[in-house]
Amino acid sequence: MSNREWPRTIVHADMDAFYASIEQLDDPTLRGRPLLVGPNSARGVVLTASYEARPFGVGSAMPMQRARRLCPQALIVPPRFERYMEVSKQVMDAFGTFSPQVEPLSLDEAFLDMTGSERLFGPPAAIGERIKAAIREATGGLTASVGISDTRYVAKVASGYRKPDGLTIVPPEDARAWLAPLAVENLWGAGAKTSKRLREAGYQTIGQIACADPKSLSRIFGAIGERFFAIANAIDPRTVATTHSTRSLGSERTLATDVSSPRELRLYLRVAAETVAQRLRRRGLVASGVRIKLKRADFQILTRQDGLTAATDVSAVLATKATELLDHVKDPGPFRLVGLAAFDLAHASADSQLSLLPTAGKRDRGLETTIDALEQRFGAGIVQRGGEAFGDRGVGIPTNLDFLDMDD
Amino acid sequence: MKFSAPRETILKTLQTVVGVVERRQTMPILSNVLLSVQGNKLSVSATDLEVEMVAEAEVEAEAGGDITVPGRKLHDIFRALPEGTNVEISQTGDRVTVKGGRSRFTLSTLRAADFPTIDEIGAKQTLRLTRADLRQLVEKTHFSMAQQDVRYYLNGLLLETERKRLRAVATDGHRLALSEADLIGAATRDEQLIVPRKGVLELSKLLDGDGEVQLALGANHIRVHLDGIRLTSKLIDGRFPEYGRVVPAQPRNVMKADRNLLRQALQRTAILSNEKYRGVRLELTTNSVVLQANNPEQEEAVETLEVEYSGDPMEIGFNVNYVLDALAAVDSDQVEVGISDANSGCVIREPGSDKTKFVVMPMRL
Repeated sequence: MSNREWPRTIVHADMDAFYASIEQLDDPTLRGRPLLVGPNSARGVVLTASYEARPFGVGSAMPMQRARRLCPQALIVPPRFERYMEVSKQVMDAFGTFSPQVEPLSLDEAFLDMTGSERLFGPPAAIGERIKAAIREATGGLTASVGISDTRYVAKVASGYRKPDGLTIVPPEDARAWLAPLAVENLWGAGAKTSKRLREAGYQTIGQIACADPKSLSRIFGAIGERFFAIANAIDPRTVATTHSTRSLGSERTLATDVSSPRELRLYLRVAAETVAQRLRRRGLVASGVRIKLKRADFQILTRQDGLTAATDVSAVLATKATELLDHVKDPGPFRLVGLAAFDLAHASADSQLSLLPTAGKRDRGLETTIDALEQRFGAGIVQRGGEAFGDRGVGIPTNLDFLDMDD
Repeated sequence: MKFSAPRETILKTLQTVVGVVERRQTMPILSNVLLSVQGNKLSVSATDLEVEMVAEAEVEAEAGGDITVPGRKLHDIFRALPEGTNVEISQTGDRVTVKGGRSRFTLSTLRAADFPTIDEIGAKQTLRLTRADLRQLVEKTHFSMAQQDVRYYLNGLLLETERKRLRAVATDGHRLALSEADLIGAATRDEQLIVPRKGVLELSKLLDGDGEVQLALGANHIRVHLDGIRLTSKLIDGRFPEYGRVVPAQPRNVMKADRNLLRQALQRTAILSNEKYRGVRLELTTNSVVLQANNPEQEEAVETLEVEYSGDPMEIGFNVNYVLDALAAVDSDQVEVGISDANSGCVIREPGSDKTKFVVMPMRL
């Protein structure tokens, strides 16, 4: 290990087979057995496969039917998102004890900026071991794979280098050489299609991209070609974001029965807007964009999103935009899941532009913060909208499934 | 239908209407343009149900008729044909053939009868003004319109008559632009209408040159007649905010500056402002303004500018984009910025002129 100080120390930690490992943690009889987490239905997909199932060629996002053919002895476990969220929070809280700069990418992975913490936690290898131990302890035995380097990109590739339970340290001066032999599929932003095009253009390894002419890369692949060149050379100026700028906050719920009536969908969206707005306010955030998500009965997901003119934390504004987005969905449904997410988040204090006219939702905000206060005092659900409490088919207080901090 | 004309004649009509052709595929026929030939007159129409544009041209017609063909494709074909080509368009069954030089294109069609048109708008009065004046009203204000705001009545331009005058006002809630021009003749009755964003942007493309324009005002539509072109737009059914209240009548302090120097200084300072909020701080003291900006990376820009100012020393922050938009729309060399305090809107205008005004609300920095 070199003694020179790294310009930045960026850690990427990625939980190993997160959902499957939680199931095995909670039910010892599942340990050591091939496991597929996902809905056991004709059109469901595998959310996570345990490491025991992976030698059979089974992986995430594979149709469940195909996975069952490949690995017939696998046990299929329906997902329990509330539990995964709970464990995710334990993991993220553990990260928080290492660095104030934690950027969760999803429930089970995050970047940590550990620059300058060598004196506190020791050299990178020691930092990595400590983080892994902290995760094991916080969750009661789950493992993570950790990659550490001085750029986000290299740290991310490094965490996936040895899985499960891996720790890969790539010192800055070795990063370029370390990347060179890896296949182009490891480039950030290169999916199956782009990788194929890269290979057709004669690039098999990241090293070949690093030596290529950046102009010809951008000619073939556009703007992303230049980015490929930069990251292949281990250049990635992006820091760990704590500004929430690319994160989102959402609420979605799987419905007991599939719904296609726009009126009912609007109602669900409004309830989701209320949950999201309340969480925004609790965290002192405002959103500049709204996204709705509908899952059809055949599991196909439709999303529509749009920006807001003024950042908001008011459910009435979120709901109005969501309703407008719903009008753009031509699919008649029926839908099994309805969700709303607020994105492009910033701290409420940052938006200090004064308004010429009374601001959108100003009155609603007053009402909503009053409800916040009442709920804090008397408990959630003390106040409900008339339509929910007395109306036909009210949706009541949701036991929501939240898609926290999704990757954008 | 069968007619012919030089490429340029037909291309010009297509260029006029193609912006209206629907990009989203809501109704297939909306991606088509309607070709109508009557006598030696061709009219080409496009609509997205909100805005309708009709352009006319003289052609040599063998047979009249009406048919619709894919609008963008037809436009692309005419753009790509060599200059000076004489082009023949003819219909056989449900196909339309475009022949020019050695090229031949056969296009699919949809029935003209299914093409939605706005025939009669029930105009209650027709206003007349010069093209230059209408251009001024639109150019000076359109950039302040809101975009997809939940306050739907802001996503457009207010046109308001006041006897012999026509006033245009646009605001997105953070800034406002107002411009006035004289009518030829007078309005028979005063009214307010809100033209949606898309209609305004299409109109702004038509206003080059001289001459006169007629604005026919219906209950739900506005129809603009220019020579050979007719633009019809639905109106936004809503109440525009009482803008008069937010335009400060007598700002307490007034700064006068060279418009270009101020613009350039703001542009330089803006480089290091927060990319999202674009805040720039102005520190005013006697005959001087210091512009300052910084970003989350703690980089900083500072610039001092000599101005005419004898008001209270003051610090005020703005979204620099709003100020730059306004400065770009002022014509004079000098500009006047009226500021009351750090929480009230500032008024930017040509010194001494009330014809066109911009109000920008500050930011708290």
